[in-house]
Amino acid sequence: MIQAAAFAAWLGAAVIVLSDGRRGLALGLALIAVAFTILAWAGGEHLAAAAILIGGGVAAIQRSRTGPDVWGLMPPGSTSRLVLSIAGGLLALWVSTSVMTGPGAELSFAALSVLGLMGARILTESEHAGAVLTALVALALSVAMASGLADAGRGPAPYVVAGLIAFGVSLIRVAEPNAA
Amino acid sequence: MQPELAIGLPAAGSVCAVALRARPRAAIAAGAFLGLSGLAAIVLSIPGRTSDQLGVTLSLSAESRSLLIAAGAALVLVVALAPLLVERALLLTWGLAGLAGMAAIAAATSIEVIILVVLALAVLQAASPGGRSFATRLRGPVLAVALLALAAAAARSDGPSILSRLSAVGLVAGLSAALGTLPYIHEFDPEERTATSPMPWMAFIGPVLALAVFTRARELVPAEGAALGAMVIGLGLLNMVWGSLASWRTEGGAAAWHYSFMADWGLALCGFGLAIADGQRAALLVLYGILLSRLPLYLWSRQSLREKRPNDRPINLLAAAMLAGSAPFAGFAARVLLLRAATQVYWPLALVIGLGLLLWLPPSLRLGRSLGLPRGRQAWGVGIALAVNVVIGLYPQPFLSLAGL
Repeated sequence: MIQAAAFAAWLGAAVIVLSDGRRGLALGLALIAVAFTILAWAGGEHLAAAAILIGGGVAAIQRSRTGPDVWGLMPPGSTSRLVLSIAGGLLALWVSTSVMTGPGAELSFAALSVLGLMGARILTESEHAGAVLTALVALALSVAMASGLADAGRGPAPYVVAGLIAFGVSLIRVAEPNAA
Repeated sequence: MQPELAIGLPAAGSVCAVALRARPRAAIAAGAFLGLSGLAAIVLSIPGRTSDQLGVTLSLSAESRSLLIAAGAALVLVVALAPLLVERALLLTWGLAGLAGMAAIAAATSIEVIILVVLALAVLQAASPGGRSFATRLRGPVLAVALLALAAAAARSDGPSILSRLSAVGLVAGLSAALGTLPYIHEFDPEERTATSPMPWMAFIGPVLALAVFTRARELVPAEGAALGAMVIGLGLLNMVWGSLASWRTEGGAAAWHYSFMADWGLALCGFGLAIADGQRAALLVLYGILLSRLPLYLWSRQSLREKRPNDRPINLLAAAMLAGSAPFAGFAARVLLLRAATQVYWPLALVIGLGLLLWLPPSLRLGRSLGLPRGRQAWGVGIALAVNVVIGLYPQPFLSLAGL
């Protein structure tokens, strides 16, 4: 279950990287929110899991209602994004399973892959504000999840703050030059 | 309860100022009342005492508290004596939001919360109307967030020693990206409003953020202190030289100010990197100078820069002397402390820093002239900024004691 959740987190990040439409972005964010919720719950952080689920869930629902009503998966010219998604996932997998030797490889993989891919998505995007906002929510959630790598957990504070940021970002409207 | 109030009251002030924006006087009154109350909470807070009233552990260190007080004082100065064309309510709104974020950064006990606050501030700033696109304005801070988060994750994981070394690199690079110093200079538009430009990262939020990141870095990678210090000093020297040369040679006046902040950050980074008491003291004095003098002077120079009317009056020369760090201003005390610290650690470094300090003179003369002829509130502001800087330069110890140094 935990391994599947970690894989789902990477898959969600990959969908956000590969998508420009609201359906694709919302699906990616929902996958990440559910995966992180499962990982936080498995780590015994129930309040953290609730914060992630509520923040990520609200943001995913809001995303599914805003922007062009298309999937927008793999638009023309997205080969480099596909390569980035796969290479980023493989790199995160190698680091979390081979370089990092402690327990919690699933959490490391999920947090690192989402962190890296969302960072790359925001840094390379210049037109679609919706994609940037979605990636910001996922980035905030992944920063909170990375705090779970500490031996003695960091408490629910980072998760609650990330949930609040996710909720706040979902309320922001930015004018998109290419919006329909 | 003070840390909670220090965060909550300025945040509430900012929200009130936004809600009352149709009535600017009411917005200023409400924002000022709540902001000053927040500042009082910061002043009255006891350094090092933890508070857990809201289920989140918060604690203000003496150094962070002193920089928050300086930031609050700078905000009071620039709002009270804002140039006529500047909308005070807007300045107050953004300043209070920044102050609340800085208090949260200073009081947070985990680096992840610091990173998330940086992300929240970046989103708020990028979402406001401005010349640059939303994605462009987010680039620097998001790169910082990603690097700092990866560095924290690497530091917390078991594995080979290279992980903690990489973590140290990530922390330094992340901080540099957040501040907008070399090699991650934020895109700068001279026509953009100051609140939505990269300036607040370098001149307002930066000092508290740098202090918080360095404090957490020492806890996260205790074995990499020497490497961390070496990287920070290297980055500091690079910014010192590049910032002062670019500030001198660049064509735009606003860009020259932007680079001058970078040069000052070079000094502060060298001080932090030296990791001995004199170095820390020097860094703190430089940061006081950035908050209380350089930032207000930049704001007051904007109108003169737009109208292209430089001046060579005595007030301009005094401002230039202050910006160059000559005696009796705070920059001089900072430079003496920095050279003393460098001599204690490795004397050739003092030689390099000493030569670098000479580069401040030509750009400072240019920046001093760019103030034009200050009149009315602006003249009062320039006078107060200069006086505060002289007081810190002549009597630095009370200000350093406030920071526990």
